[in-house]
Order: sequence, then C-alpha cells, then structure tokens
Amino acid sequence: MNHAFYLDVNRCVGCFSCAVACMDQNDLEVGTEPTAWRQVFVIETGSGPEARLRYVSLACMHCEDAPCMMACPTGAIARAPATSAVVVNAEICIGCHSCSIACPFGVPRFGKNGTMQKCDLCSIRLENGLEPACVRVCPTRALKQGDPNAMSQEVEKKAAARLAAGS
Amino acid sequence: MDKLQRMIKGKIPGEATGIEVRKSICTICDPQTQCGLDCYVKDGRIVKVEGSLENPHSAGTLCSKGAAQRQWVYHEERLKTPLKRVGPRGSAEFAPISWSEALDTITDNLQRLKAESGPQSVVFYCGYPKHLRPFLQRLAFLYGSPNYCTESSACFTAMSMGWRLVYGQMAAPDLANTKCLLVWTGNPLWAGTPNARRIMDARERGVKFIVVDPRNSPMAGIADVHLKLRPGTDGALALAMANVIISEGLYDREFVAEWARGFEEFKAYAATFSLERAEQITGVPAALIREAALLYATIKPAAMMPSSTPVVHHTNGVQNQRAAAALVGLTGNFDIPGGNVSQPLGWLEVGGAGFPTREHQFKMPLKWTDLPPRLGAERFPVWTDMIDQGQAMDLPRQVATGDPYPLRGLVAFGLNYRMFPDSRGWLEAVDKLDFVCVTDLFLTDSAKHADVVLPACSSVERSELRAYPQKYVVYAQPVIEPLGESRPDTDIIYGLAQKLGLDYQNLDGTAPAMSAPVVAGQQAPTGGFLPNGAPDFGEAFEATLDWILEPSGMKISQLKEHPGGMPVPDPLPVTFKKYEKNGFPTPSGKMEFTSSILEKYSDRPGIDPLPVYAEPRLSPVSAPDVAANYPLILGTGTRLPMFIHSRTFRLPWTRSLRRDAAVDLNPADARRFDISTGDMVELSTPYGSIKVKANVTELAAPGVAHMYHDYPEADVNTLLPGDYLDPISGFPGYKASLCSVKKLGATDGTAQGVKL
Repeated sequence: MNHAFYLDVNRCVGCFSCAVACMDQNDLEVGTEPTAWRQVFVIETGSGPEARLRYVSLACMHCEDAPCMMACPTGAIARAPATSAVVVNAEICIGCHSCSIACPFGVPRFGKNGTMQKCDLCSIRLENGLEPACVRVCPTRALKQGDPNAMSQEVEKKAAARLAAGS
Repeated sequence: MDKLQRMIKGKIPGEATGIEVRKSICTICDPQTQCGLDCYVKDGRIVKVEGSLENPHSAGTLCSKGAAQRQWVYHEERLKTPLKRVGPRGSAEFAPISWSEALDTITDNLQRLKAESGPQSVVFYCGYPKHLRPFLQRLAFLYGSPNYCTESSACFTAMSMGWRLVYGQMAAPDLANTKCLLVWTGNPLWAGTPNARRIMDARERGVKFIVVDPRNSPMAGIADVHLKLRPGTDGALALAMANVIISEGLYDREFVAEWARGFEEFKAYAATFSLERAEQITGVPAALIREAALLYATIKPAAMMPSSTPVVHHTNGVQNQRAAAALVGLTGNFDIPGGNVSQPLGWLEVGGAGFPTREHQFKMPLKWTDLPPRLGAERFPVWTDMIDQGQAMDLPRQVATGDPYPLRGLVAFGLNYRMFPDSRGWLEAVDKLDFVCVTDLFLTDSAKHADVVLPACSSVERSELRAYPQKYVVYAQPVIEPLGESRPDTDIIYGLAQKLGLDYQNLDGTAPAMSAPVVAGQQAPTGGFLPNGAPDFGEAFEATLDWILEPSGMKISQLKEHPGGMPVPDPLPVTFKKYEKNGFPTPSGKMEFTSSILEKYSDRPGIDPLPVYAEPRLSPVSAPDVAANYPLILGTGTRLPMFIHSRTFRLPWTRSLRRDAAVDLNPADARRFDISTGDMVELSTPYGSIKVKANVTELAAPGVAHMYHDYPEADVNTLLPGDYLDPISGFPGYKASLCSVKKLGATDGTAQGVKL
C-alpha cells in the first residue's frame, strides 16, 4: 500500500504537537539549528484587517519519484518496500547534501555527524499497524496519513456534503 | 539493523521488544486537561509517550508540552534529594539532607512559629499541579492556619466570581449541541487542546463562531465574526451588545420578567453604550458589534465559551466578565441544551464530573469563622465571601505591615514568585519570612529562596484521582519508580501532618478538634516513613480517597482495575432549566443584573452592583499623561502553544520552538518604532524595563505589546506594580497596562539580532 501524509490546512492551528511527538518518537536532539524532522510554519499574509495567519505542518512528502533518491550518489536513500516511505540509511550517507539540493520541499536535515536525517513516515510503526507519531498526536486531527487516493476521496466526500448543504 | 533492533528503536510495544504501554495522565498544565498519557516503558524507563485513545476528554491527543513529557520527567535538573539552604536566601547554595532531617526541620519550625506567633502566621501555598489542593487545605486548617492560598489567586477564580455574581453558578457551553458559539475569550487550540478537535468539528458542521480577542489567534482565525477589541474593554462591548439585543426586542422577555433582578437598571445603563460609543471605546466597528449581537441573539441555541483568565486579568476584570456573562441569560440561553448548562462542580472543581464526593468536608474540616481572618480578607471582601482560599496578592502588604497579624512562615508546593505583579516585591516579602519550605521537581528560582526544599514526583511517578466533564474518572498510578528520593506531594502532606501530631486521618464524625501541639524535638511516630525517612502514606491516601468517593459509590480498588480510567457508573443526570424548580443560587434567588453581593460593598471604589464599565487603570484613555511616554498597551501572559508558565522553558524540545524571550509586536507598531524581527528591544513601563527580542507578527494586536511571562532573563511582571489589582477579585491587570518599546542598537552594547 502507498502511504502519504495529508494535512487539512483548515484545521492546522500551529500548536506544534506534531513536531514534538516526532522528536519524542525519534529521540531527536534539537539545538540551535532547525534539525527537527517535522516543522510547523506560520504563514502571514496581508496586513491590518486583511491580515491572515495560516499554519502548515510539513515533513517529508515521500514522493513517488523522489528527487532525493535520484540525486543520492551512494544509494543511501531508498523506498521501504512495506510502506512506500522514502527512508535514508545514515550508515552509507556521505553527507554530500545532494538530496538537499534536489528536494523541492527542503526536507533533508543534517545532524551533528553531518549525515542526512529525515522523516521516515514512522515506517516501523506503520508495519506494526500503528499511526505515525505526528498523526497520532494531532489535537485537531489535521494531520493524517494513508493511501493518497483514499484520503483524497474522503476530502471530496466532505466537499460534496458542503455543496449539498449549500444547495 | 535486524528486525528486532528496528522494532526496539521504533519503540514498538510488545513481548518481543519488552516495551509495555502503561497508563498515566499528564499534569504539565492543570486547567482541567489532564490528558490521558500512554507511557511506553522498557526496563523501568519511559521511552516514548502518546495520548490515551480511550480517554474521552483528550481522545489520544497531546499538546506540544505533554508530548515533551520525557524531557520533563527525566530532566537532569530533577531534584533527587531534600535540600537544606547553606548560603543566603536566593544564593542557590544548598546541601542534600535526609528526608528525616528535612521533615523534622520543617515541623520543628512550624511548631515553633505556632507557639510564638500562632498557626495563622504560616501560609500554605499550592501552584501547579492541583491534585494535592484538598490535602494541603486540610493540613493548613488542622494546623490552625486560614492562610491556604494557590495560583488561583491569579487564575480561574475571578472568572467563576463573574459568573456566580450573575447566576450563582457557572455554566459551561454545550458545544456538541449549539448552533452559535460566542468565544469570550479563549484559544483552546493552543492552551486547552482536549477541546481542539471538538471546536474544529463544530466549525465544520456549520456552527457560527463569534470570537472576541484582541489578537489574531487561531481561534479568531476560524471565526465568522472576529471582535478585535482593545484589551480591557470587554465590558463596553458586552453592554453595547446587550443594548442592541434589548432595544431591538431580541431578549428573552419571559425569562427576564420572571427570573431577573435589576433588569430595568441594567437596561438603562446598557442604553448609554450606543454602538458608536462602543466603537470609540473598543475599536470594534459599530456594524460588526451589531452583527455579532444579532447573530448571538437570534441563532438558537447559542452558547458562550469563556476561559480562565483573559477577561478577568484586568483591573476592571470581574465587572467585564459579569457584563459578558449576562448576555447568556438575557438571550434565554441559560441552562438549555446547546446553551450554557450548569452542572455541579465535582472532584477538583471539574464541572459536570457527574459524581458527588465529600471533597468539601475533607478539605475544610473547620469553618472560616473558626479561624483568624485569612490573607486578603479585609482588602478583597468579595473574594473572601465567595472563594474558599486566601488571596495571595495581599501577602507583601501583610508581611510589611503585620496587619492584622504577622506572617512568619511559608509551606509551598510549586511556587513561582514571578507570577505576581511586582514579582521582586513578592519575593522580598518571602525573604522576610522566618521559615520557608518549597516542594518542587526542580530547584526553581523560587525554590532557591527556601530554607528546606523537598523533591516532588511528576504525574508518572505518583497516584492521583482525576475526573473529566465527560463523566469519566481515572485513578492514575505510577508507571515508573520515583526518580531519586522524590515523593508524591500527598505523601509529603501526610508525613507533615503525622509529624505535627495533627488529627489528619480522622475523617468521620464531626469536625475534629485540633490536636495538642507536638513538643518541638519530640520523636514523631515512625509509621508511614521509609527507611530513609521519606513519607510513604499510599494506603492512608487511598483510604482517604475511598472516604471522599463514598457518596459516588466508586472505590479506588475498582478504579485500579481500569488504569486508563472508566465511565462514571450511574452519573448524575444532566437536567435543564433547573432554576424553574430551585431558583438561582443567588441571594435573591434570581439572575442578578444588579448584584446583591456587590451592593454590600458598593461603598468601596471599583465595586458597583451594576456591571459598570471602567477603563483599565493604565490605559490610553484613563491615563493619557502616562500614555504620552508609554504609548503601547502591555499585555502579559497571553498563551504560546509551546510553553505553560515557567514549566517548559528548560525542556530543549519545547524551547527549540521559540528560543528567545521575545515581545510580539504588530507590524504597524514595529514600523513606527523602526523595529524588525530579531532586534533587541527595551520594553519599559514606569516601573521598570526588560530587554527582549522583538517578534513582529500580525498575531499581535495593533497598539499592544504581548510579552510572555516568567522568563528568568526577562521577568515582565517586574514591570507591573504590586497593587495593579482588580478590587473585586484581587487579580492583576496583566493584560492591560501601558508600556513603551525602544530598539536597542549596537551602541547599547547588545549583539545584533538573530532570527528567532
């Protein structure tokens, strides 16, 4: 089964639970540099009465045709067969940062030892029937994971209900 | 890595990995949250936490602070032994001592102070968490001191007073059934996450949201109507809305005719708040005020969602809260499905917990009239009439003057002196006390001023009973051994009671007489103490809980069979319009637009039977001469998602989310003062100044500087005078005073700003 994240941007409120749950699951060391695997961004647009603040939680997109996988010279980045997650094997990573250059989402991070680290969609948890830590914790249920088509279907169903309610 | 290694690294629970999921609760914050906590335990150590799915309150969710649990529990600075001060107060020079020596030192001093100055000379204080409060209050009373006080001197109680002055009771919004939610004010999306999903679900079902908030909070962000008012002007806004509702004939005439006291006076007073006047005072456009009033008055049913502090953290706070709360009854939304429903307060003041207890008899074995007058009794008579605690804001005055009697000791659990306005003044008062004992998980800056420090357990190392508004109850038990020699707060209280020779465990019968004092130096009974002298009263504690629970039919042994909690068996039924049978629990038996209780004290400044609107004491309108030099409104304590008071600054995971002490400024104000994000600025009031980073954001209200509290390096409460208090509640005006911001350049010797 293919797994991907889905974020309902209308429900993300910038509470940071997901970011910390990921730190807890993966024993991340966070210092003064932004090495956390899941980041939450505050996007401010407009000003005065038109000002809007929106919140977006992002980690790896686990792309089907992952540019990082293509760019990696050592084959350290591969697709996990059971979950389709894109995962890095730090042991063969040489810290060349090619993945960082290739990734359109700015996902790869580099720890103290210089090797790449990132979200692995909590693959081992998925293999054992458990949700990724970030999804599990989300107070507004903004963050989900699953088969991308199935998740899109759910979103469309809700949109259909809104259309029906409005007509 | 082989499969088992991956499973262990991935913290997969099960026999193969040796990881067991044990149930507990999180008490990092404590405003009726207590999210269910699944602790993944391997070899006696928690390796991961998760929310408990079966807890109907939190349903498997955690906030960023709860998710950082392990960095709280296992922080290297956790106190492992009792400590004795060996240097001057505040020097942080402490030596480890045994529990025996610690408890004996405390009780010897308490007996000495009792003999020299009377037991009322000792103050018993509780910050967070709150599970120990009934036990501490009982200890204080049996010792003979009325001076039991808590951080509720600055949180929740004033909101409760506001509602109770109107209705005699609080009434919570029925979110599940309402069609219109007037949020006045709060942001549970950051500060009360158990309700976050319910709020978003309500939004999705089409519930109309009206949000009153100076900030562009995420709650305001989902509002259909955002009433973005100047801080402290809630009363004017509410009165203008009431005026619209009354003058356009949209109020519940039948309800008001039969159940209201003082409606005609209220109507006449509200009529002085035209929409134009309200716009001038609040900054909210007149048309928007009217739109909000019409929505709230015409959508049926409609509910109001208050929260513990933002409306009452003002020098005019309680009157503002009354005016807002009155809209509920005015529109016929009191005690109806989908409106605000009143339910009895259960264990630890959880509304709608659904089961009766003997908590009141346990925590107050004596009446207030059996004891000398408590802290704040003369200065805050309305507080004293309504709240079963002392008002801790009065401590510095009583220490300084000895009026009505000297204070000489402090026994505190979870003390944070920076909570108080003129925080240094509050601490100086503590330093004048003869004997100070503080129990905490860390050697906090407050604990550094103690003579004896006792190490406390976190929630995962102790047992406690908690109830939830969903009529669910948990008796959480330890999932790991206490770290070092730390002990549960309740064991400490029992140990002190035993050594003081108090009749603490005499639960049945009439109020027990106070025991004869134990002679100082005499050996206390050794029962209930571990070999190292640490108090171990688990059995007595559980027997007490059984006694407290007796009216509910539940027993601790039964609750132990459900580690994640269980629904309350046969919960108290929820009924509506109870006033039709019983009237309102107010002196007049009616909903009081004009308050009987406040009439008693109306000769005092700031106290008026009507919910009179007054400007904050320091506002651009009330103090234009001050505002000339301090042109911004100072708001302190407004919530950030990753912090709770002083507790989570030291956790690397949460601290990484907002590294520096920073003041939130609106871009318009930042431009005015030539300030950019990352600049060091001086934030000043007439009382002092602090140096902090600037964070320029549209989250901040125009004209307001929002500064989070409790930073040791930037204590914003040093900028407020100690008497900047609401005369009715004693609550500080944290959220509206006056300040200035000035960019600090390189010439001031400070480093160039770094991105937050």
